[in-house]
Amino acid sequence: MNANAKEWLKRLQPLIALVVMVVALSLLSDRFLTLVNGRNILLQISVNLCVSIGMTLVILTGGIDLSVGAILAFAGAFAADLLKNGIALPSMNVAIQFTPLGAIVAGILAGLVLGSINGIAITQFRLPPFVATLGMLSIARGLTLLWTGGFPVTELGPSFGFIGTGFWLGVPMAVWISAALVGIFYIVSQHTTLGRYIYAVGGSEKAAAFSGINVNWVKLRVYALAGVLAGVGGLIVTARLDAADPKAGLGYELDSIAAVVIGGTSLNGGRGSIFGTVLGCLIIGVLNNGLFLLNVSPFWQQVVKGFVILVAVAVDRMGTRKE
Amino acid sequence: MKRAVFIAAVLILFGIVCRFFPLFHVVALKRAETEKNAGVFNAAKFADDFWSEKLLKSFDHAVDAKELLAAIQANPADAQKKYARSLSLGGGYFYYLRGEGRVLATNDSSLSLAINTGGTNTEVALQTGMIFGNAVRDGTGLLNASDYPNLQDFNSISAELNKLVEARVLPELRAHARIGSTISFIGCAEVDDESTDLNPLQVVPIQAQIE
Repeated sequence: MNANAKEWLKRLQPLIALVVMVVALSLLSDRFLTLVNGRNILLQISVNLCVSIGMTLVILTGGIDLSVGAILAFAGAFAADLLKNGIALPSMNVAIQFTPLGAIVAGILAGLVLGSINGIAITQFRLPPFVATLGMLSIARGLTLLWTGGFPVTELGPSFGFIGTGFWLGVPMAVWISAALVGIFYIVSQHTTLGRYIYAVGGSEKAAAFSGINVNWVKLRVYALAGVLAGVGGLIVTARLDAADPKAGLGYELDSIAAVVIGGTSLNGGRGSIFGTVLGCLIIGVLNNGLFLLNVSPFWQQVVKGFVILVAVAVDRMGTRKE
Repeated sequence: MKRAVFIAAVLILFGIVCRFFPLFHVVALKRAETEKNAGVFNAAKFADDFWSEKLLKSFDHAVDAKELLAAIQANPADAQKKYARSLSLGGGYFYYLRGEGRVLATNDSSLSLAINTGGTNTEVALQTGMIFGNAVRDGTGLLNASDYPNLQDFNSISAELNKLVEARVLPELRAHARIGSTISFIGCAEVDDESTDLNPLQVVPIQAQIE
């Protein structure tokens, strides 16, 4: 087999794994391969997909973002509270009442701000991404509890809820949103300067810097985008539940890292794709759904998911060593 | 140049969208508060109305403490079947009782009352500290969880009723109850399981009179 074919086979590994799983589960459960179940899987992975797109960009630069779940929770809570309670300005005797669109924009901006702080901590204060985003995880969780008082913000109304529970052309809005983000960030990663710089920085930071790329500029944008995408995920979760739960997004960072790694993106950076992450999310979604349909205990589902991640990373490492 | 045009185009587009779909409205504070409170369940007002219009008029439904305590002593399970109320939200159940007893002891959180149950005295603890739980809300059987689509509203009623007990009933007891004085009371008791019924029975007073 020539090198080109080997490279293609490597790229297709997640897709082959997904096809094998779909075929196996179709044979094992007659409820698996139905339109309704397919739609359920897409709906269930939509939030993880939003978060994982951001995580892919971060990991492509050789970084990691542990704060996406916490940012997701804060963005959702921030938007929900603004929509429900607005902002009172007693000194001016006025109040600002947010529309659903305003709340959505505010939630995305909240994600942008927290993501940018991650980027600043990593690029300006030279903190390792692991430490910087771990700190942000705690900060965002605390801010969420402070903002909500520890209680869920409920009854947000159907207009806001539409992005989480609405349908367009028979497909859930959450799926449309995540699909649109996949399209946008596929173009960003493959056909823009920023995308090329992301791969360059992840491949070799020094080489990228020597070739004139402003590495800090790239990293700052990547972490800011990861924050924005976590914010979008938070808005979808909040809209789906018609409530902002301060504890939302717990463990989402691990799910997104898992999706990215299973999708073939190297944890060392510089190698991977948005398309791979979509496959990674689908693999996790299909796995969860299939095990559920087969009445496998949720405890075993965790074990299987962990095992799949280990296998994916091991395969990636073996491939890298051979190269 | 190309970049500046792109940013300008995005901002103009965003401006146009915001013109037709505004992000927020600035309104007078009073109007905002009125709109916010409209349709919002006011637990404090509800509890206040419930207290004066229903609770105080329901004392006839309370079982005599002597009868109840004797029944519990004889057979807790039968007493539960006959006198207790349960909301099926948890394993606990509630008694609504009235009686009279002599103060045996006092502390910061309760008065220990001796109630004569025919020959012997049975101890009941009349709570005088911070009131927690759902005894007042659920003990009388006047309120049903199914009438409240939002469980948060139902829970907030309990908190407000407990506040009313603390504000309207307990100050008098705390100030004037002494060992040896006789107190007639009407109250509710929340019990987790049969084994702790008379351990002693913890009663949240709704009305209490020191004689």
